[in-house]
Amino acid sequence: MLSRVAASLYWMSRYIERAEHTARLIAVKLESMVEQTPEDAAVSWARVTQALTGVKTAPLHLDAFAITRYLAFDRDNENSLITSLSLARDNARQVREALSNEVWENLNRLYLRLAPVTMDSIWVHTPARLFRDLLEEMHVLEGVTYSTLSHGEGWYFLELGRYIERVQQLGRLLNIHFTAAQTGNGPKYFDWLVLLKFCTAFEPYTKKYTASIRPQKIAEFLLFDSEFPHSICFSVDRMTEALARVAPGAPQARRAAVERLAGRLKAAVDLGQVDELMSGGVAAFIADITKQCDQIHKALYSSYITYSAETVL
Amino acid sequence: MQHEVFANTEDFGGPDIVGATGHISQPGVDAPYANYELGKPFDEMFSRDGQVRATYVAIDSRVSSLPLEELNRRQQAVEKSFLHQGITFTVYNANQATERIIPTDLLPRIVTAREWDRIERGLTQRIHALNLFLRDIYTDGRALKDGVVPRSMIYGSKHYRREMRGIQVPHGAYVNICGSDLIRNEAGDFVVLEDNLRVPSGVSYMLANRDVAHRAFPAVFRSMGVRPIEHYPLELLATLRSLTPFHEDVSIAILTPGVFNSAYFEHAFLARQMGVALVEGRDLLVNDNVVYTRTTSGLKRIDVIYRRIDDDFMDPLIFRNDSALGVPGLFNAYRAGNVMIANALGTGVADDKAVYAYVPRLIRYYLAEEPILENVETFLCREEKMLQHVLGNLDKLVVKAVGESGGYGMLIGPHASTNEREDFAEKIRANPENYIAQPTIQLSTAPTFVGNGIEARHVDLRPFILHGAETKLVPGALTRVALKRGSLVVNSSQGGGSKDTWVLSQ
Amino acid sequence: MFYSIRHVTRFRYSGPVRESVMELRMQPRSEGPQTLRSFQISTNPRAQLYAYTDHLGNAVYHFNLLREHEELRIEAQATVEIGQMPAWPDALDPLEWSRYNDFNLSDDHFDMLEDSWFARMSPELESFMKIADLQKPVGDPLSALKALQCGIYGSFEYEPGVTEVNSPIDVVLERRRGVCQDFAHIMTAMARRWGIPCRYVSGYLYHKGARDRSAANATHAWAEAYLPSLGWVGFDPTNNIMAGERHIRAAVGRDYADVPPTRGTYKGDANSELSIAVLLEPTQAPVRHEDFLKVARPMVRPTASMPERLYHQQQQQQQQQQQQQQQQQ
Repeated sequence: MLSRVAASLYWMSRYIERAEHTARLIAVKLESMVEQTPEDAAVSWARVTQALTGVKTAPLHLDAFAITRYLAFDRDNENSLITSLSLARDNARQVREALSNEVWENLNRLYLRLAPVTMDSIWVHTPARLFRDLLEEMHVLEGVTYSTLSHGEGWYFLELGRYIERVQQLGRLLNIHFTAAQTGNGPKYFDWLVLLKFCTAFEPYTKKYTASIRPQKIAEFLLFDSEFPHSICFSVDRMTEALARVAPGAPQARRAAVERLAGRLKAAVDLGQVDELMSGGVAAFIADITKQCDQIHKALYSSYITYSAETVL
Repeated sequence: MQHEVFANTEDFGGPDIVGATGHISQPGVDAPYANYELGKPFDEMFSRDGQVRATYVAIDSRVSSLPLEELNRRQQAVEKSFLHQGITFTVYNANQATERIIPTDLLPRIVTAREWDRIERGLTQRIHALNLFLRDIYTDGRALKDGVVPRSMIYGSKHYRREMRGIQVPHGAYVNICGSDLIRNEAGDFVVLEDNLRVPSGVSYMLANRDVAHRAFPAVFRSMGVRPIEHYPLELLATLRSLTPFHEDVSIAILTPGVFNSAYFEHAFLARQMGVALVEGRDLLVNDNVVYTRTTSGLKRIDVIYRRIDDDFMDPLIFRNDSALGVPGLFNAYRAGNVMIANALGTGVADDKAVYAYVPRLIRYYLAEEPILENVETFLCREEKMLQHVLGNLDKLVVKAVGESGGYGMLIGPHASTNEREDFAEKIRANPENYIAQPTIQLSTAPTFVGNGIEARHVDLRPFILHGAETKLVPGALTRVALKRGSLVVNSSQGGGSKDTWVLSQ
Repeated sequence: MFYSIRHVTRFRYSGPVRESVMELRMQPRSEGPQTLRSFQISTNPRAQLYAYTDHLGNAVYHFNLLREHEELRIEAQATVEIGQMPAWPDALDPLEWSRYNDFNLSDDHFDMLEDSWFARMSPELESFMKIADLQKPVGDPLSALKALQCGIYGSFEYEPGVTEVNSPIDVVLERRRGVCQDFAHIMTAMARRWGIPCRYVSGYLYHKGARDRSAANATHAWAEAYLPSLGWVGFDPTNNIMAGERHIRAAVGRDYADVPPTRGTYKGDANSELSIAVLLEPTQAPVRHEDFLKVARPMVRPTASMPERLYHQQQQQQQQQQQQQQQQQ
């Protein structure tokens, strides 16, 4: 597979994952705010904003309309939903020949559908509805991708993009919540509930732990559950599996750098113990995991995309 | 608020029946043809006395039976489908980039088996002569020595590539993919307006349009014995393969300028249809005179490149040194025979406006045959007698500077003022070799759906010729339509659209 | 007369670059009175050299370097024998003009009649021809060309650094100063205007005495015009002399753009600095007697290190084009 094509597939997938994550957080937040006091909602919106943009904002001057517009429709916000979808589509267009018609058309329609939407048009009725619809369509896209593309190297680059992005996004979200938990003004019961919903984890969590919502159990579930798709452990497993499948013909010297990093990451997650983390260590643990993901991203590039071309197949 | 689930964009067909009405329409009278004007140009659908030509009876009877709204609905569904498929080109103005589809028309343009037979033989003959000419000017220069073509026309052409001198190309085939523009004159005969020997585009629209008309009028399509064109990518692949002596493991790539090129859709489309890699210059590198792509696993050799970028940008080492689209060292790999490039470099010298005028002579010179397809009548100002004719008839002629394209350095006599004509006459006298003149060209008209009915619009015809070990034409073409009433400009950048072309088997 | 030529080119980059690709046109030609007795070329870092003969008969070497490097050195070493030069007559008969016909001219000549990238007519050149009274050739073609050479010599100062890499001749015409490359282009364009096929020669000049304006131990350029009775005859407008046994011809083309000694590209975010050293000396006997007439044998050998003093910053005449491609991603 062409290195450039691999890179585009990887980024396309990262942006789709980012868009999905953004849409999900906005939808959950819009739905849940009606059950919160305005003050609690403002704090919670600030956390969402920070999780999606990496920028910490003061809760006071923000209203839901402005934040939603910024997070969803502002093309100057490089992390907004529309920006992510637009970049996903740009990347897809560059690798049209590596995608099925179905994947391209679904993604293209998704973008063309969102592009003309304005805040005013969605705000009058049920604002969350648009984001729920988009989420549904993104799930369709995921399914179409799964069932119309060969599960070859390209597909594994899509997997890599998805799960590296997922770990980054999930990590940031957890980090914000568990860091706040260390302060006096930490997340309340309802905030923990919403955190589970942010990660589509409410039902799977209650199935495993009953409806007793406890931060330690949440951390255990979202970090170490090996069966839940939006957990760090699950994502890392998929990532390492995908890493083993890409660039099958690459010389061992170049593969080794990536595989060593992947092994280290997997060991860190496999050996992680939630008990040891609860006294403030969750944030540090997550910081370590996301840093390792970042190293894998760089190794992926230097081994398979921008490697020095001295050897010939 | 409800957000509708997407409309089923595939739904632009519908149950279809053939000849159910027995009705024959009259242009300028019956709906939907109330505004259909027959003028001096040949019309594809109606004879001069307003009779529906036999080939269009089935289409007419189907179209007349459909309410206008239904035609509109199908037209819109088609456009939506194109948009979703990404069959678009991008228009840049100010800092805004707008995606536009190339409008496609529901109604097919029909070419009879006899007409096609002449086109096929004519274009085959033409591409043979043009390839012999290219081989000649890059090797012996026989035609130059014999005075068939003036030397200065070749050596003065900016498309003449001296680097190609002495290089052997497989099968002597310089032009492997050609798209010639034909028009129908008033008498109804097809004549050649232009040869596109560099990187002709549009074949993806030919195929996409087939999808449209085929689904809009399935029963009519089936009943008429339309010849299939879907095998074009296969034939193209075979042509590209025939350029190497190897039979297995031939690695082929399409070289595109990238996603910002207006024909990018086509490049990706052909790559997918043929199952070959779509590469940009930055994906390729040359090592020890061999071309490689950079893959995740390592460098992988490329044997044949179907390039969709211009000569100038191919190799910054040899041609334009500011080209970021090309591959340094590519030409030397080509010279060494380690990679085949289609089309060969330097083919542009033969689709120059001035050389065009010589093509009939080239056919006689190289093949000792009479041209099967005529040129549009062309006057070469470099020849004294023709110069006098041109100067005496400036009000009736279109004069073009040979080195220029895109309407630059052009005089449209009938539309110019006396002063403009006199100024231009001065320019011609000062540098007659630089000008050719043609009568104002009339393109034939074809029925085109325009929203509130069906009207006559000017069309041309671009068949695609493949030439490797053998010469092949897929029986179809891109019919370009000037969508503005009365307009003769069919270019997509200036309001042109296209329609499917049905070549009948008998 | 034997000459030994050592031509060293060094590129230094401000940072690591990779995927260098380069073409070299520095092998002296072997034709007429000039015979190439030996030629060796090598690069450091080492690269596999390939060669071909271009359509003008010039020997072209080319190579590529994938791996990262911060310096690239090319060293060419030639031994050339210049035999007896033909004695050119002082003048030809005026009928020579009528010999520019299809019978005497071939494609190679016709190609040297059209404007080319550097050697082209322009309003500035037009007005120079008027001022210098060179609009129409006077006398037979040979006399006219001599007058043209003399006219250029008298109208322009030799001054390095005035013109740049890709300066069109208009800059020279305006400032009335330039280097050998510029004068050769002006002469070429004007001779073609008169209907005389004329080409550009890149090579070396062995300096003798202080009369030569061009720099010693450097590459040189002059023009060659075609005279049907005599063949290609060299004119050196820089020094106002006919090309003779001190002129060593390396490559011919329509103008400089056809025959730069080096032309290359590389990838990497770095600037390049070019240094050139030429050492041209008469020598007693050829170093080797192999016949290098045909360019067929790519050669690689380790490069001996060069004394640093040989590097002279002589960029004024070696106008070479480097393209920098921004690193992708």
